[in-house]
Amino acid sequence: MALTKDRLWKVYRDMVLIRRFEEEVEKYAQNGTIPGFIHLSIGQEAAQAGVVEALKYTDYKFPDHRGHGAIVLSSPQERRKNCMSEIFAKESGINHGRGGSMHVNDLEARNMGFNGIQGSTVVTCLGTAFDSYYRKANKMEGWEADDKDLDVTAVFMGDGTLGEGTCHESLNMAATWNLPIIYCLINNHYAISTHYTESHPQQQLSTWGKGYEVPSFTVDGNDIEAVIEITEQAAERARKGEGPTLIEFMTYRWQGHFSGDPAAYRPDGELEAWQAKCPLLQTKKKLMEVHGYSEEELDALHAEVEEEIQGYVKFSLESPSPKAEDAMKFVYMDREVEGR
Amino acid sequence: MTRKLSFSGAINEALHQEMERDETVFILGEDVAKMGGDFGITKGIWEKWPNRAYDTALSEQAILGLCNGAAVCGLKPVAELMFADFVGVCYDQLINNAAKLCYMYDGQASAQIVVRAVTGGGIRCAYHHSQCIEPWLMNIPGLVIVAPSNAYEAKGLLVGSIRNQNPVVFLEHKLLYNTKSEVPEELYDIELYKAKVVKEGSDITIVAAMTMMAFAEKAAKELEKEGISVEIINPLTIFPLDKETIVDSVAKTGRLVVVQEGPKVMGYAAELGAMVVEDIFEYLKAPLKRVTSLDVPVPFAPVQEDYVLPHYDDVIKACHEVMAF
Ligand SMILES: Cc1ncc(C[n+]2csc(CCOP(=O)(O)OP(=O)(O)O)c2C)c(N)n1
Ligand SMILES: [Mg+2]
Repeated sequence: MALTKDRLWKVYRDMVLIRRFEEEVEKYAQNGTIPGFIHLSIGQEAAQAGVVEALKYTDYKFPDHRGHGAIVLSSPQERRKNCMSEIFAKESGINHGRGGSMHVNDLEARNMGFNGIQGSTVVTCLGTAFDSYYRKANKMEGWEADDKDLDVTAVFMGDGTLGEGTCHESLNMAATWNLPIIYCLINNHYAISTHYTESHPQQQLSTWGKGYEVPSFTVDGNDIEAVIEITEQAAERARKGEGPTLIEFMTYRWQGHFSGDPAAYRPDGELEAWQAKCPLLQTKKKLMEVHGYSEEELDALHAEVEEEIQGYVKFSLESPSPKAEDAMKFVYMDREVEGR
Repeated sequence: MTRKLSFSGAINEALHQEMERDETVFILGEDVAKMGGDFGITKGIWEKWPNRAYDTALSEQAILGLCNGAAVCGLKPVAELMFADFVGVCYDQLINNAAKLCYMYDGQASAQIVVRAVTGGGIRCAYHHSQCIEPWLMNIPGLVIVAPSNAYEAKGLLVGSIRNQNPVVFLEHKLLYNTKSEVPEELYDIELYKAKVVKEGSDITIVAAMTMMAFAEKAAKELEKEGISVEIINPLTIFPLDKETIVDSVAKTGRLVVVQEGPKVMGYAAELGAMVVEDIFEYLKAPLKRVTSLDVPVPFAPVQEDYVLPHYDDVIKACHEVMAF
């Protein structure tokens, strides 16, 4: 299914935004401005932009540790700069600098954030999926209508993370109860240095889903149209109460595991081969060749995104740090914890 | 109106009454729905509300994960861990997820969940079905651990736990299930984070929880005959501890004996000891005494289990020692 001209343009812009966001984050991580670990998603923009595009604002999203793209696109325009300043550990950060790169969340946009323990959100997401399932089954307020759609939950997980037992408990439970979950398995071929074929017996990891009788697919994760099409189908099934779907998106991360990892474990030429399949380049080509956009129009889009990103960076750099003693807040909902 | 009710009956009644009052409360776990739980604690709930009681696969991580996610959406899950020892299987969901969600979400949401966990030794079930797990969880800011010692406390504290906005591990000692006490018929809740002064006294403070409360009460009576006045404190919320009540009591008596079912090393008795030494050293008339299990896994053979678990005589001995110091 080809996207309309306008929609393809829109998601191309989303991908450019992710790419530029990541490049800036990398720059400030490298020069020491951003503290902590940073996992970049350059090369994987289509899988993130496409999944978010296929979902509603009110659907639950669980990005993973390599999730800046899904994070920033989940938040509305006015809060995107706060996603970046969160990564910069600033008070203006969307979580006031409490979480940083790995834990950026925006509950209003139903971006539920990542838990630094791989595989953990893959069971937490059962609960957000269960929520509307439960409300509907019990005809709770607002959920009385038989034909009311469930809220979809999309959880991101990597090829390596699929080794965690949580993923299997989750698939089993979601399949048994027909919970509205889309398992977005980002197969970027590596878990740190370990190729997925070294840690799993299958050539395609989507085959895991079959044992749980979960409809499972493998698609080109660098083809944004394919990503959106399959995710929309999965979302539709989930909304109607027909249960979960597992989608394996084949893609590749251009950088090392974390910003600064030279990724010496990759064979020569592999990166270059994948760079030739860059999701942005592919889409740009389609926009020009199929939809007739001009070089000037694309330049204008790039310039617009650039201005936006520079705005986020400026905002992040200029924002103050959070107060040290605010570290004591919100350990418990209903009691204080003593500070220094 | 009150009447005698068993500890298990009190928990069952608390669940029924709170679920009646609040439609966001539901139960899930292994065999909790149709069968009513391995220990029969959740009987009658599934019959009343088939869509609010869920039998799950043997998937403790999924059970706890589901609780966490559902809680963030505003539901109030009450999960059963058939044995507290299984906390090991879903430890991550408790310590890295439930305990951190409020912090991670900046106080905008939290894991308002209750994990009912069947705990403790004495039923000849060996080392995987007999442990006291509270110290495994006491180093984790964000968690709450509640431990009733009788039916009255069980009902009120469970209701308090369901209404508490934080993740609560609710410890049910299996030896208490058949014990009875006066329990009001109506719904009530007992405030968390507050220790109970079970009996006032002036010479020794004994702190004990769950089944160890019986040792403390018996010892207090026996020592009374010798003219030793014992103050008994039940923490009820084992974590975070009600420091004020405990420290105030020890400042008054000057002597502290902690009776704790789990092994000695790094048990909650150790934290109580540190608390009084740090805060009221000058009031202490004797060193802390801890009466605990021996530092081994809980063995199976009855003679061995009895050997390892705390002995009543040791409570009396400890009290005599602190008086003689
Ligand atoms: C339980 C757990 N084990 C290990 C890690 C350390 N770790 C973080 S990311 C990662 C690799 C994940 O690989 P994959 O799931 O393929 O995601 P990718 O990094 O490729 O996006 C590892 C081992 C962790 N955070 N949590
Ligand atoms: Mg990977």
